[in-house]
Amino acid sequence: MIDGLLILLFFQFLGEVLIRLTGIPLPASVVGMVLLLLALLLNAPFSQRVAPAAGALIKHISLLIFPLGVGIVLQWHRYEDYALALGVAVVLGTLLSLVLVTVMLKKLLGGKHGESRGGSHDR
Amino acid sequence: MIDKLDSLAGLVHTPLFGILLTLVSYRFALWVYGRSNSLPLFHPFLVASIPVIVVLPLVGVDYEEYRDQTTLISFLLGPATVALAWPLYRQLHTVRSVLTPILIATVLGAFISAAIAVGLAWWLGAPAEVVGSLAPKSITTPIAVEVVQSTGGYVSLAAGAVAITGIVGALAAGPIFRLLRVTDDRIKGFALGLVAHAIGTARAFEYGEKAGAFAGLALGLCGLVTALALPWLWPWVAQYL
Repeated sequence: MIDGLLILLFFQFLGEVLIRLTGIPLPASVVGMVLLLLALLLNAPFSQRVAPAAGALIKHISLLIFPLGVGIVLQWHRYEDYALALGVAVVLGTLLSLVLVTVMLKKLLGGKHGESRGGSHDR
Repeated sequence: MIDKLDSLAGLVHTPLFGILLTLVSYRFALWVYGRSNSLPLFHPFLVASIPVIVVLPLVGVDYEEYRDQTTLISFLLGPATVALAWPLYRQLHTVRSVLTPILIATVLGAFISAAIAVGLAWWLGAPAEVVGSLAPKSITTPIAVEVVQSTGGYVSLAAGAVAITGIVGALAAGPIFRLLRVTDDRIKGFALGLVAHAIGTARAFEYGEKAGAFAGLALGLCGLVTALALPWLWPWVAQYL
């Protein structure tokens, strides 16, 4: 657990260093994620030890997020004028995206490697 | 006596109070979610928010103060984002054979989701900050709240939009897949992970391990592609808002 946390913070720190050196407009944690992915793919020593801490953090991601999300209600006065735009963009936008993405995936992945087709019953 | 009551009331202005309230709310939400058999509508993000939203105004703590109290918790979002490399690494191995169409699908899908959200909000007259908050709504929350800073959006609005996107996506997936006659578990999983991130991924696991793995992969790749592209593209998009 401690090893994992150490690795995660170290890679986040590396991301921060890289951003400050290059000035690229990316979040440090995303750069850290890319660097850790590279380290894992290259079988860097110790990198596999990240698993317990990574698993625990990802499992409880809602705990880390919802304190930020309550602001949507507690600061509603900031957003109420745009309630319609927000509702339509989030709800209708999600339905539209899901339909379009599914159609696109059927075009891209359909036909090839169809071995999983027999396993599904809902038609 | 009055002094003692005053010092007791002052407790609500300490990080201990904020963090305890957060953990109690989250524990309660986990219990509710378990009892509901993991129904997307009872996702911990939504349920855990309710006690906090009720209690804070009652004890006279505003949102800014609560965010200060809970910086210890939100700090962990950084390492949690880095941690996403781990499931991504594990799932990249399982889909090597279809990696190229997967990567093309990710780039197109990430673009579709963001463009629809931005387009609809802009069309309905939302100001630039609100539109910017919605651009990363289909990606996993820890990445979204980082990326939203480069689009000039509000963190709380982005976090809320991401959660509702996940819930709507997870609820609508069944009917949409039936309507479009999707029988391939890989497509179900990938579509869910791409559009509805972690909540969609949890839903995808109900279709089986394979759907779940593809959803997890889509979640990681979509977050990555959006985070890498949006900060560069946004200044250009923002000119037209």
